[in-house]
Amino acid sequence: MLRTTLAKVLNGAQFSPKNIAVITRAASDQAAKKPEKIEVFIDDIPVKVEPGTTVLQAAAMVGVEIPRFCYHERLAVAGNCRMCLVEVEKSPKPVAACAMPVMKGWRIKTDSELTKKAREGIMEFLLVNHPLDCPICDQGGECDLQDQSMAFGSDRSRFTDIDHSGKRAVEDKDIGPLIKTIMTRCIHCTRCIRFASEVAGVDDLGTTGRGNDMQVGTYVEKMFLSELSGNVIDLCPVGALTSKPYSFTARPWEIRKIDSIDVLDAVGSNIVVSTRTGEVMRIMPRVNEEINEEWLSDKSRFSYDGLKRQRLVTPMLRDSKGELKPVDWEVALLTVAKQLKNAGPSVGAIAGGFADAEVLVAVKDLLNKLGSEALCTEHTFPLDGSGTDLRSSYLLNNKIAGAEEADFVLLIGTNPRLEAPLLNSRLRKGYVHNELEVALIGPKVDLSYKYVHLGDSPSVLEQLVNGQHQISKKLTSAKKPLIIIGSEVLERPDGGAILSAVQKLCAATNPQTENWKVLNVLHKVASQVAALDIGYTPGVDKIRELSPKILLLLGADEGSIDKSDLSKDTFIIYLGHHGDNGAAVADAILPGAAYTEKQATYVNTEGRAQQTLTAVSPPGRAREDWKIIRALSEIIGATLPYDNLNEIRNRLDEVAPHLTRYGTAENANFFKQAEALSKSVKSQIDKTPFDVKLKELQDYFMTDSISRASPTMAKCVQAVIKQKQSKY
Amino acid sequence: MAQPLKKSLKQVKPILSLDKEEARKRVLHLYKAWFRQLPYIVRRYDIPKNVEQCRSKLREEFTKYDDIKDVRVIDMMIIKGQMELKETVNVWKQKGHIMAYFKDTIEPKPTDFLSKFLTSKD
Amino acid sequence: MSYFGIDRIFKVFQTMRSYGGIKASLYKLWRMDSLRPGILVGTDKYGNQYYENKSYFYGRNRWIEYAPKYGFDYDGSQVPAEWFGWLHYKTDLLPSQDPSRPNYKWMADHTENLSGTSEQYVPYSTTKPKIQAWFCKMTFFDGT
Repeated sequence: MLRTTLAKVLNGAQFSPKNIAVITRAASDQAAKKPEKIEVFIDDIPVKVEPGTTVLQAAAMVGVEIPRFCYHERLAVAGNCRMCLVEVEKSPKPVAACAMPVMKGWRIKTDSELTKKAREGIMEFLLVNHPLDCPICDQGGECDLQDQSMAFGSDRSRFTDIDHSGKRAVEDKDIGPLIKTIMTRCIHCTRCIRFASEVAGVDDLGTTGRGNDMQVGTYVEKMFLSELSGNVIDLCPVGALTSKPYSFTARPWEIRKIDSIDVLDAVGSNIVVSTRTGEVMRIMPRVNEEINEEWLSDKSRFSYDGLKRQRLVTPMLRDSKGELKPVDWEVALLTVAKQLKNAGPSVGAIAGGFADAEVLVAVKDLLNKLGSEALCTEHTFPLDGSGTDLRSSYLLNNKIAGAEEADFVLLIGTNPRLEAPLLNSRLRKGYVHNELEVALIGPKVDLSYKYVHLGDSPSVLEQLVNGQHQISKKLTSAKKPLIIIGSEVLERPDGGAILSAVQKLCAATNPQTENWKVLNVLHKVASQVAALDIGYTPGVDKIRELSPKILLLLGADEGSIDKSDLSKDTFIIYLGHHGDNGAAVADAILPGAAYTEKQATYVNTEGRAQQTLTAVSPPGRAREDWKIIRALSEIIGATLPYDNLNEIRNRLDEVAPHLTRYGTAENANFFKQAEALSKSVKSQIDKTPFDVKLKELQDYFMTDSISRASPTMAKCVQAVIKQKQSKY
Repeated sequence: MAQPLKKSLKQVKPILSLDKEEARKRVLHLYKAWFRQLPYIVRRYDIPKNVEQCRSKLREEFTKYDDIKDVRVIDMMIIKGQMELKETVNVWKQKGHIMAYFKDTIEPKPTDFLSKFLTSKD
Repeated sequence: MSYFGIDRIFKVFQTMRSYGGIKASLYKLWRMDSLRPGILVGTDKYGNQYYENKSYFYGRNRWIEYAPKYGFDYDGSQVPAEWFGWLHYKTDLLPSQDPSRPNYKWMADHTENLSGTSEQYVPYSTTKPKIQAWFCKMTFFDGT
């Protein structure tokens, strides 16, 4: 429904700014018909703009910001708050700048008497029904209404009607454990409604009533549960929607903000970590058009309270009774070093999902010095064909931003909505605005947009490779086809055969755009790409074969290896930040730092190296991960040649130069060679249907050691289950 | 053509002593003065050192500057030493000031990686 | 006789006799640094004995002989509250003679100062720790 209406908007009046973004991108292909630019005057400054540009955008081009509440760049235009009224010369009434496309020769006055008066009037109407509870409002200090009433509002109140009807009061709603609603503060900008239906694809929010009786809500008693729901908190210009876990904990002016990177999925969203008194108070998204635009998934946003629970704060050693006892660093390092010395080259390491590139390199250097090559990642990847030698076979080659330009997407064994919510929001954007068609091989899941379900049988993939499937034609004729394969199906024993089949399928497509890459692998954990880049062997089979005397777990908590897989006297060292499955089986625990506590490098699924910054210091005796390995190496007598961050970054640069080129995604190449090598794979795809672990929303919230320790995430799971049982 | 040699020695105003011999006498004089005061210093300040230890420390403090030959520098140091002595004898100092001769009060910062790691100081 | 102070020598002997011989007196002297003749006015329930000798100057004429079980480990906090007043001249009435003393069932037993021992009182923080550490035996939120 939404799709058709917006498509109409797209074809008819082309002034929705978001549509323009899509259109301009599309326009690059068909550069022939470029409409002439028209000239308008903003406060007598001439500016030439494309036809269809709104007054508000034209003003932004010359650096004039028009106040607004309902207008948002990434949402459809509503035009209902009236705050952006400006005077246009020879126009009888002021016009709403956000919704009005400019006409040739318009003289727009953003600072005239009439404009000022209009703004003051609107402000007064908004404040008539807005409570004066700024001192107890969580939005206080970062509230659009507060700021704009200071800038544009009247200097005194004319509100006297407290004895008769008073201010409007609206009952609060329970829309889940993440968002707190104080609906009396709502100014009906409908940003949240538009976000829910356009970006999140959950048509739960809407309005009832008109005029003074208008209410934003869910119609029926229902919670607003989505993997992107937290974004409405940022969108809300007032304090109607605020964060429940953050409520009444801190004020914006007493907070320190540190730019960082999210590591709870493989997308690598840009975040701002807000801290106060050495504690992470909240996490908010940071704009990065290449990755997360300005959204953030709920797990990344709300699982920060997991960083304060179940933490490893002191080194521990298992005593003779089999209990873990806290010790100090000297004892722990000496004990571990003694074990390492006795073991000689019989050492193995498994890297978990949160391991950063620095510690991965340090561990690799240490183990290589000891004469071992048993370096594995927890998540498997097929080694047949070119394996992990060519980057192109394990990256999301076409980049996250590229997904919204595609015209046909084939998803294989993945649920992007829960594995990478922000990639899914891109796909949805393409679906809504760009006529994107999506097909899925794998279990039937709710992707928040319509798609063709091809079944979960691997035989569909074979049919596609042979060109016999009904959808094959679409795939080959598509101008910008994308094939996104989930890393989970590649973890199957027949993963090599699946990957080679997909590579064959990609070679059969005919992308019409230069540098369009069809093959895309979607990883689930933040460390995987960096580990493969550095040269770790995917999968733990090597460890099982060797059964080393010492096993070093770098935050490996998914239980990929069991004590029964190892010999009885294997000494397990756990280096990580959370007490979870890995720490429970360990003989020695070396407490490391979580991603908010260290400056570390992560590479996301598209191969983009980014770094986290230290927001708070590691708790207790915990240390930065690579420093622990460096200290250990010195005690063993195989000192690693780096003492500080710069030196280890130089070493990273030696190993793989792209690891220190922060912010840029290094393109992979050698697709043809990878495809040619994949032909050597002789194994067959077996008949077990494709499956994904994350099928429904309740599976999404607790997937790793941080989110498993988070009380908020546990509440979310309970809320989803409760919602399932309700009649709506 | 060679320039005529400039007179390399410059006459300077003496601080206290006119020649080396006089400076030497002054140093010995100061040493003796300190030496005589040591038992009283030990008693008054109640420091955990005995007179013998203080004497060796006194000798150490004087011999530390063995290599200084400039009479003016020696003179200046005699003045400083005299000031120290006066402050000590008149108990203008406190116990810590006396003990500072024996041990520096500031712990040296760790410089190598391992001790930085163990003390968590960067 | 008193003019030459000979009576003091007699007093010494007398005192020693009252303490039960030379050996016992020397032990008392070693333990308490003084030998004083006095009248035993009372004993508390911990075994401490309270003496008075009015011939001494005010301030020195009441004293305590700590119970033998304390050995050389005696200190002022071992004096219970009911004797404290008499010993410090807050009152001249002995605890047994004072009718106005409160005496309730719920009153706690006297404890000496336990600082420096294993039973000493250590104040603890009532603020919640910012970071909850992990211990080996753990439970997750969903009960697994």
